[in-house]
Parts: sequence; structure tokens; C-alpha cells
Amino acid sequence: MGKSGKKISVFSIVNGLIFIILCLIIIIPLWKILVDSFDLKTAYGMKLWPETFGLDGYKLVFSNPTLYRPLLISVITTVCGTIIALMLSTFGAYVLIQWDMPGRNLFANMLLFTMIFNGGMIPTYLVLRSLHLTDTLLVVILFPALNVYNLVLMRNFFEGIPASLFESATLDGCSPMQTFIRIVLPMSKAALASIGLMFAVTYWNDYTHYKLYIMNSDLYNFQMKLRGMIMGSDLPTASGNATENTIKNAAIIVVIIPFMILYPMLQKYFVKGVNIGAVKE
Amino acid sequence: MKEKKNQSSASPATGTNRALGARIYRYKGFYVMFLPVFVFAVIFNYLPMLGIRYAFTNYNGIKKPSIVWFDNFNKMFSMPGFWTAFGNTLVISIVKLLLTTFFAVVVSLFLNEIMNIHFKKVVQTIIYLPHFLSWVVTASLFSLILAPTGQGLVNSFLVSIGVVDSGNMIYFLGSTKWWRFTYYLINVWKETGWQTVIFMATLAGMNTELYEAASIDGAGRWGKMRYITFPSLANTILTVLILNLAKVMNLFESAFVLQNDAVLDVSNVLETYIYYQSFNSGSIPNYGYTTAVGLFKSIVGCLLVLICNKWSKKVREGRGIV
Repeated sequence: MGKSGKKISVFSIVNGLIFIILCLIIIIPLWKILVDSFDLKTAYGMKLWPETFGLDGYKLVFSNPTLYRPLLISVITTVCGTIIALMLSTFGAYVLIQWDMPGRNLFANMLLFTMIFNGGMIPTYLVLRSLHLTDTLLVVILFPALNVYNLVLMRNFFEGIPASLFESATLDGCSPMQTFIRIVLPMSKAALASIGLMFAVTYWNDYTHYKLYIMNSDLYNFQMKLRGMIMGSDLPTASGNATENTIKNAAIIVVIIPFMILYPMLQKYFVKGVNIGAVKE
Repeated sequence: MKEKKNQSSASPATGTNRALGARIYRYKGFYVMFLPVFVFAVIFNYLPMLGIRYAFTNYNGIKKPSIVWFDNFNKMFSMPGFWTAFGNTLVISIVKLLLTTFFAVVVSLFLNEIMNIHFKKVVQTIIYLPHFLSWVVTASLFSLILAPTGQGLVNSFLVSIGVVDSGNMIYFLGSTKWWRFTYYLINVWKETGWQTVIFMATLAGMNTELYEAASIDGAGRWGKMRYITFPSLANTILTVLILNLAKVMNLFESAFVLQNDAVLDVSNVLETYIYYQSFNSGSIPNYGYTTAVGLFKSIVGCLLVLICNKWSKKVREGRGIV
């Protein structure tokens, strides 16, 4: 017993060390960016703390309109998009659990077909352009809002709601909309949180839709702006003591920090989201 | 995601004998609720499908499209750039998929052995994190860290341990020799942790009696990992591979933000090829040609989904992927 106990502890220590190294591999690049964003000197190599501490990089991001406007656009599209996307997913999912409804299977197949086949990048671009949706924020808010995969996740969740609740609501004379608001939504807080968060991350991180459909740089979100800055084509004029490198690093931190702060609290919802869809069904 | 056709548990009292009209009337509220979803699907999914007709025309976006039938497809199959992109799409997607899945399985197996629940939670929180960074942020981060200058963390480290000399730093994202390796590495960094979620969920649902029985039979830690933990993951591994294999043609953003002109030979995938040919070719675009390439991509993608769906039904007791 003593021998095997010792063996286990050696394994545990080695295993623990491996995971500490693994975590460091993930943290070090992020830490490097964080340190450099506060460092007014161009940084060489890895440092634990900034050499010349200063907030000038951040001041510039929040004072330069070409930088804070994209940030504002990111916030607006994320909030509006997530609300609309949740609306579509819950409405669609609620209709898909009405197994007795004429046309239900048609609707389901109509949605599922879009997961198999799509028009492709260019026809989509041409159609949206002819509808005058390109170069408006509408396209980046509305396009990602219908996500059939998330809609199906939501439907899987709704199917777990006891049928008796629906029946009693109908007997009480609730309309479908009333049942939806009084029963379905309150029963689905966890699913709303996980799927809403997945949408929020998608909107916040969106780059492809902007790249394809937004040509007007006044409508860029922060991801687009960041991309331009890193590629060196779109640097704001350095002000104060911030070097080019400091500004770049500060911009990266600004775009990831809201999520980093919320993430430890929200992590369980993300994990739940994967599990609604994949494991249990 | 299988359709459960015979289930009516969630619907109000059934009305099989009612006239269709009465049933439709009874569900009128639901039709109103489905309307926005319907409109979105039509505008963003079905109208673009009609745009596929451009594949059979020459169209520059200004003049009226002129019908050329299959010329664009003939041109496509004779373009070396197209074949390079097609090959790159398959190679990059599949290698990426195999690598991240392999590492995710290994990490899950060892994560499962951590007994200290707090430590495990912290580790999971950290390794899930990169998945939520956007590709733009990831690319920005790595282009700063991998820069072939003294500011680049990796190169300055390699110089300091004497592997490379300071005049000869490695341009990881800018040389055809290194690009794919770097791309895979970045993907493993970003996605391995998140992929363990699904494997950890499987392991959490495992029967612990198996372990006890194995202990009684004298199985050691490695024996249990090899003969109990790993086999119980086999079905999940297959599921993950099938689900992702169906999506290999969709590769776009990650390759797009990490590539540059110098490495297009090894990094240009079909979607980025279509993008450059349409918006960045330096001459008047022929949307007809790029629509044709996109159609080819969609058809191959569609076949892959159907094959994977069939395969999935076979190995997952009738559960398809769509």
C-alpha cells in the first residue's frame, strides 16, 4: 500500500507539472501582450513587468475617435445582434417542437438544408449588395442572427420541458405567445444564457462578415480596426509616449479584456452549451 | 440532432381528426412566430442559392451577365491556382482536425487523472480560454510573438539559447517552409483545450465500477488509462472526427488572417482563393468564375456532409449529423 501510494504521488506531481507548463504556454503569449501594452519602451524578450510603465497606449485607444468608434460599433452590434439572434433561435425552436403543426417538418427541413448546402461567398455577396444591405450595420447584425445549429440546440433544450406544463397553459387559455413568455422562457434560463453567450462571442469576434460586406471604414468594428493596425496599414498617429508597439498591444488587450473579466464567471454556461448539443440528447 | 418524428410530447392535445384548415387555424400564432425565422432563412440562405446561376455566366458586377454555360468550370479545372487551393483546403483542414483531436484526447486522459478538484478547475478554465479569442486577435498575438525581430518572443528566445543566430531569424508566418507548421501549432494552442470539453463530459459519465473492477484485477494506472478510459472515448472521438470532417471545406477565417502573399502557395484554401479572385485580383473581377469555384466547393462540402451523415448513422446508432 505504501509503495503504490508513493507511486501515485510521483505520477500526480509529474502530471500536475505538465499541466502547469501547459497553462503557462497559454498564459505567456497573453501576458507578454499585457506587459507590452503598459510598456512605453519597445519591449525585447519576455519580462514579468513593464520596464517603463505608462497608460499612454490605452489613453490613445479611448481618446482617438478612429479607435473608440469601432469599439462602440462592436458593442452596439454585439448587443443588438445577440438579442435578435436569441429571439430567432427561441421562436424557431418553439415552433419546431410543435410536432402536430401542419408544415412543421417542412420548416425543419428548410432550416436543416441550409446546414448542408449554401450559395457560397460570392452569390451571397451579390444578393446582399442588390438588396442594399452591404455597407450597412444591418448586415453584420442580421446575417449571423439565424444560426441553425444554435436553433437546434435550443430545440433540444425545449424538448426537456415537461409536456404537462404546455397542456395546462393551453387549458388556462394561454395563446402560443403567452405560453412562450410565461412557461418556455422562464424554464430555459440556462439555455438562454449559454446560447446567448455563444452569440455574443460570435458578434464580438466577427471579422469575416465585416471583411466581406463592409467597405466603409467608418462602419468597421474593433476586430477590423485591430487587423488594420497589426498589418501596419492603419496606425493612428502615435501620441504622447506610446510607441507603435504599445498601441498595438493595448488595442489587443482592449478587445479581449471585457471577455477575460467575465469569462471565469460565465465558463460554466459555455460548457453547458456544448453539452446540450453533443452529449446528452 | 436527429429528428424525432413520432414524438408529440410537447404539443398541445392532438387533433389528428381535425380538418387541416382547423389545425392550421389553431397554430396561427406559431406561424406568426416562425415568420421572422422564415424571412431570415430566405434572405440569407435561399436567395443566395439563386445566385448560383451566375456560375454559368460572365459577370463583372456592372454589366449584365452574359451566359457562357460551362466555360467557367473548364477554366477552373485548368487553373493551377484552383488545384493548389483545393489540395491545400483538404490537407490543412484534415491535418488540423487530426492534430487538435489527438492532443485533445491526450490532454483529456491526463486531465482525468488530476485528483485535486480545484487545480483541475483552474487548469480547465485556462485551457478553454484561447477558444474564445477571435482569429484576428489570435493572429495579431502570434504575429507579434513570432515576429522575426528582437521584439518577437520566440525568435529572441531561440537566439538566446543559440538555436538561431540573430541575423538569421525564422519568419514563421512568412516562409513557405514554416507556415503550415506554425498554422497547426496556433490551432492546437487555440482549440485543443476547448475540444477537451466534450471528451471530459464523456469521461464524467463513465461507470466508475469498471475502474474498481480493474483495480481488483490488479490493473495499474496506465492499464486503466489504456484499457478503460481510452476505449470509452472511442465513440466520442469518432463522433468529433465525423462532425468536423463534414466541415473541412469551410476553412476560411483562420487561414485568411494568418496568411500573406509570400506563403499563398502553401496556405491558399478555396474560400480565400475565391476571396482574392473576387475582391483582390487587381483586375476586373469575374464573379461568374468565382461563383463557379464556390459552387464546386459547396457541392464537395455537401457530399462530405452526406457521407459523414451516413457514416455517423452507422456508428452512432442511427444518429445523423443533420
